[in-house]
Amino acid sequence: MNESTLFVITFILYILSAFFYLGFLFSKKPNWAKNGSALAILGLITHTAALIVRTIESGHAPFTNMYESLSFLSWASVLAFVIIDKQFKIPKIGPYLMLVVIGLVALASSPLMPKQATPLVPALQSYWLWLHVSVTLLGEAFFAVAFITSLMYLAAKEPDKKEKWDSVSYRCVAVGFPLFTLGGLVFGMVWAYKAWGTYWSWDPKEVWSLITWFVFALYLHTRIVMGWKGKRSAVIAIIGFLAALFTYFGVNYLLAGLHSYA
Amino acid sequence: MKVFIKFFTSIRLAIVLLIILTAASVLGTLIPQQRSLEEYAVRYGRLASPLVRLQLTGLYHSVWYLALLALFALNIIVCTLTRLSPKWRKAVRPHILTEAKSLLALKVKDRYKKSAPLSEVKAELEKSLASSGYRLRTEAKDAEVHVLARKKILGIFGSDVVHLGLLIILAGGIISGLTSVRKELALKEGETLPVPRAPFEIRLDKFTTEYYPDGSVKAWKSAVTVIENTAPVLAKTIVVNKPLTYRGYSFYQTSYGWDWDNPAVEIWSKKKSDPSFLKKFKLRVGEKIALDDKDQTSIAVARFIPDFVLGEGNEPQTRSLQPNNPAAFVEGFQAGEKVFSGWIFANFPDMDRIHAAKETDLSFELKGFEAGQYSVLEAAQDPGANLIWIGCILTMLGLGLAFYWPPREIKAVLEESQGKTEVIAGGIAAKSRDSFRSEFEKIMTSARRPK
Repeated sequence: MNESTLFVITFILYILSAFFYLGFLFSKKPNWAKNGSALAILGLITHTAALIVRTIESGHAPFTNMYESLSFLSWASVLAFVIIDKQFKIPKIGPYLMLVVIGLVALASSPLMPKQATPLVPALQSYWLWLHVSVTLLGEAFFAVAFITSLMYLAAKEPDKKEKWDSVSYRCVAVGFPLFTLGGLVFGMVWAYKAWGTYWSWDPKEVWSLITWFVFALYLHTRIVMGWKGKRSAVIAIIGFLAALFTYFGVNYLLAGLHSYA
Repeated sequence: MKVFIKFFTSIRLAIVLLIILTAASVLGTLIPQQRSLEEYAVRYGRLASPLVRLQLTGLYHSVWYLALLALFALNIIVCTLTRLSPKWRKAVRPHILTEAKSLLALKVKDRYKKSAPLSEVKAELEKSLASSGYRLRTEAKDAEVHVLARKKILGIFGSDVVHLGLLIILAGGIISGLTSVRKELALKEGETLPVPRAPFEIRLDKFTTEYYPDGSVKAWKSAVTVIENTAPVLAKTIVVNKPLTYRGYSFYQTSYGWDWDNPAVEIWSKKKSDPSFLKKFKLRVGEKIALDDKDQTSIAVARFIPDFVLGEGNEPQTRSLQPNNPAAFVEGFQAGEKVFSGWIFANFPDMDRIHAAKETDLSFELKGFEAGQYSVLEAAQDPGANLIWIGCILTMLGLGLAFYWPPREIKAVLEESQGKTEVIAGGIAAKSRDSFRSEFEKIMTSARRPK
C-alpha cells in the first residue's frame, strides 16, 4: 500500500475516533471512549506505516517539508495522548485532542502543502535531521496535551477534577520540557555547529524556541519554588504551547530567517 | 538596602528576569536585526534613529540585553548556592532521629508489633528496605532505634545540575563572543589562502556541484588540502554538514559562485545567405579572433553578463552572480574598424540585437560559457563551543535527575518492650506518590511477615 492511501485511512480512523469520543462526551458511556481510544490507536498504527513507507520511498527522514512535519506532529500528538491516557485515564480530552489532530492532518492534506517528496537539499543531509526534528516535535506534542489539559482545568468546576487536570498538565510538561530542551535546543545547537559552524545565530526560529523554553522554565519555577498551581499554572502552560506553536509554524510564514525548511 | 539585597537574591527576581528576557527576545524577532541604517530609515522613518540608539536593531548583542543575561546568571548563582548548602547537609549528614508522632502524621505510614527482640525485627526491616534499593542509617536513642532509609537522593540536586549546566553554557557563550574567529574564504580552484591567525594555509583543489536527476543540487564538494610550512599535511573533501576540523579550526562549505572576471565564451556563427556556413569558436572576453578570411572579418567579445537585465537608463547589468540569463556583447571588425556590435543571449538564440554600420550577413549564437568556479568556505575557531557541549550534557543530566530520579525517604522508629518490638514507619516521596505507596506497602508486608 502506498503512503497516500495509508494517510487517507489514518485520516478516516482519526475522524471516527473523534466521533466516538464526542459520543462519549455527550452520552458519558465509557464504551464510546473505549472505541474512540481503539480507533486512535489503530490510526496511530496506520499512520506509523505511512511514515515508514514515506521514509522508504523518499530515502530520507519523513519531516523535510511542511506536509511531512505536520504529518509527523499529528502522529506525535496521538502518541503523546495514547501514552498520557494510558497512564492517567483521561478519555475526556480525547474529543478535543483528536479534533486538533484532525485539524493538523487536514492542514497537511490541504492543497497549500506540496506533498511531493523532494530530494534532500545539502543542508538537511545529516542524521541530526532525525534527532533534532523527531525529539523536538515529540516534546511539542506533549506541550499540546498539556495545553488541552490546562484548558480542561480552566473549564472544570469540581475541585477534585481541577486537581487532576492540574497534575496531568504538570506531568505532560515534565515529559515535554526535557524532550524539547534536548531536541530543540541541544540537538539544534549541535547540528547548527556542524552545518554552519556556529551553535547559535539568534535566528528567529532559535529565538522563538528559546522563548518557548523561557515560558516553560517560568511554569516550572513558579510552580515548584513559589507554589503557584492551578489557574496561573494553566495559563502559563497555555502561553507556552502557543509559543511552541508559533516557533513551529508562525516563524516560517511570518518571520524570515536561516531556518527556512519547515 | 536589605530589602534590595533580598530581592536581588530571590527567586522572584529570576521570575521577573525570565519575563523581561522573554519580552525582549520577542521584540528582537519583530524588528529585523542588524540591517543597514538605510533599510531602517525606509522601514521605520523617524523611529529609526531611536531604535538604533536603544540598540533594538542589534538587540541580542546590546549592552542592556547582555546586562540582563549577566544579572540572570548572577541570580542563578546566588539562588542555587543559598539552596545548595542545606540540601548538601541533608544528603550527607541527615537527621536520623525522628518522632514517632510525626511519622504517624504522614500520608504513607504503617505500624506493627512483633513478638521478637528488637535486633531481629530491625534486621528484617533493614533487609526488606535494602532489597528495594534503600540505603540505611541507624541511630539509637534511649531504648529506641531510629532508621533512616533513602534512595535516589541525588535527585535533590537535579535543579542545581541544570543551573550549573546553564551557567557553563553562558560562560561558553561569553568565550565564543570574545574569542571566536570567523572568516569567509573565497577560493578558486588551485588557489591557496592563509587562514587568519592560524599557522597553516588552505588550498582548494577541486570544487564540484552534484545534481539530482530533477536538476536540484545534491551536494557541493570542495576538495581541499591543508598546507603547513609549504608542505601538504591533510587532504579532505568538505561537504555541507561535514566540515574539516584541523588544529581547533573548522572549515564549512557555506557558499559558491562563478568567477566572472575572465570567462571563456562559445559562439556559433552562421550566414543568412549560406546555410552550410557554420563556424564554432571559443574566445575569452577581450580576445579578438579572425572569423572569415574572405571578407577579413574578425570578432571580439567585449563583455559577458551572467544574469542580463536592463537597469536604469537601459544600461545592461547583472541581476545576480548566477548564470540565469547569460549574455555576450559581440563586436565585428573589418580592416580595424568596428562594423557591427550587439548583445546575444544564450537563453534566447533568436533575439540577437546586432546593430551594423554596414549590412552584415552574419548571425551569432551564444552556445556556452566557461567560468572558473570558486568555493566559499567559512573558517571558524570557537574556543567556547566545548563548554557549550559540557553545559548541554549537564543540563540534560540535571533535567533527568530533577524529573525522573525522585528521592524517596522512609523513616522508622523501633522500640522493644516486654519481649515485643513495635515498629512505626512513614515515608515521603517528592514524585510518583502512588508507586511509592505500593513500594512502601510491599516493604512493610515483607518486614512484618512472621518467619
